[in-house]
Amino acid sequence: MKEYLELRFPLGSDMMTTVRLATGGVCSRAGLDLDASEDCKVCVTESLLLLGHSGYRGARMRFSDDGGLRVEILGESRGSAAPSSEDEISYALLSALADVEFERADGALSSVKFTFGKK
Amino acid sequence: MDETELFARYRATGDRHLRDEIVAKYLYIASILAKKFVGRGVEYDDLYQVASLALVKGIDRFDETKGLRFSTFITPTITGEIKNYFRDRSRLVHLPRKVFELRGALKQSAEKFFAENGRLPSARELAAMLGVSEEDVVNAAEAGGVVSLDKPADGAEGPALYETIPAERDDFERFENRDAVLAACSTLSERERELVRLRFGKELSQTETAKRMNVSQMYVSRMERKVLDKLKDELKKSMAD
Repeated sequence: MKEYLELRFPLGSDMMTTVRLATGGVCSRAGLDLDASEDCKVCVTESLLLLGHSGYRGARMRFSDDGGLRVEILGESRGSAAPSSEDEISYALLSALADVEFERADGALSSVKFTFGKK
Repeated sequence: MDETELFARYRATGDRHLRDEIVAKYLYIASILAKKFVGRGVEYDDLYQVASLALVKGIDRFDETKGLRFSTFITPTITGEIKNYFRDRSRLVHLPRKVFELRGALKQSAEKFFAENGRLPSARELAAMLGVSEEDVVNAAEAGGVVSLDKPADGAEGPALYETIPAERDDFERFENRDAVLAACSTLSERERELVRLRFGKELSQTETAKRMNVSQMYVSRMERKVLDKLKDELKKSMAD
């Protein structure tokens, strides 16, 4: 499996632009079209929001090639959760845009994984 | 009235007031989702309209007896409608034009900011000036890659890209420099001006210049140093003015 990029960063709204730009760059490198790239960026944003609301202070994100662009986002350093009324929309949006896997630990979301552009 | 009860009553009665109540209650979902898809060449208002229509249509298709929450049901429905809208509009929306226009606006705003503040603006400052996201600014600034210079700059039928690329040198600055040098040259003697014309206009060597002026190369060298010192002094004076 070819690795594209691995990022580790604090979960805060000020990091979103940086992470979305990095995601856009990787999508371009992976050969995704513009529409799929934008969808991937939306999925990354929603995943980070969900992990943030689950109480994680940081995240580790790995981009790799498994016949498409595989994105794995794991929450790190957990604090207290602050669920949002919009979480349900985020879950539904992620499911609408990608074949997504949610993993849970101790009753809370711990990771989100999805793939774009699978041939 | 809770969600299930509201939908059950609407289904039983078909009361339009109840439908309006449902629309008003869940319109925020249309707004949230429209915002998620901004930045792909379609304005928020258009996306919000598409999302709102999908919401209204979705209300009639929702079956509250299946145990699904309405937000979970309607989110993929609205998302699907928005994506269909993008697909339908893809022939009409020229994203490169948007990026191209933003790049032009960025350049102008950066120049304006520099004139007012004496330094170049950050991406955040440019985003605030133009009312776009910081991400759009960075994307537009990064936009480029390998392109054909013969292709229309706006991706449609406009002028070729090479016609829109500004010259690397600044012609205005060049004009000003030329003006200052000409003014400084007017303080030189006829013979000194002849040396400037041959050495820096025709770009002849000192030996060649000496031959043309019927003097030795050493004389040209000394005179050149003297002339350059004189010009430097004049230019310094004119800059101080």
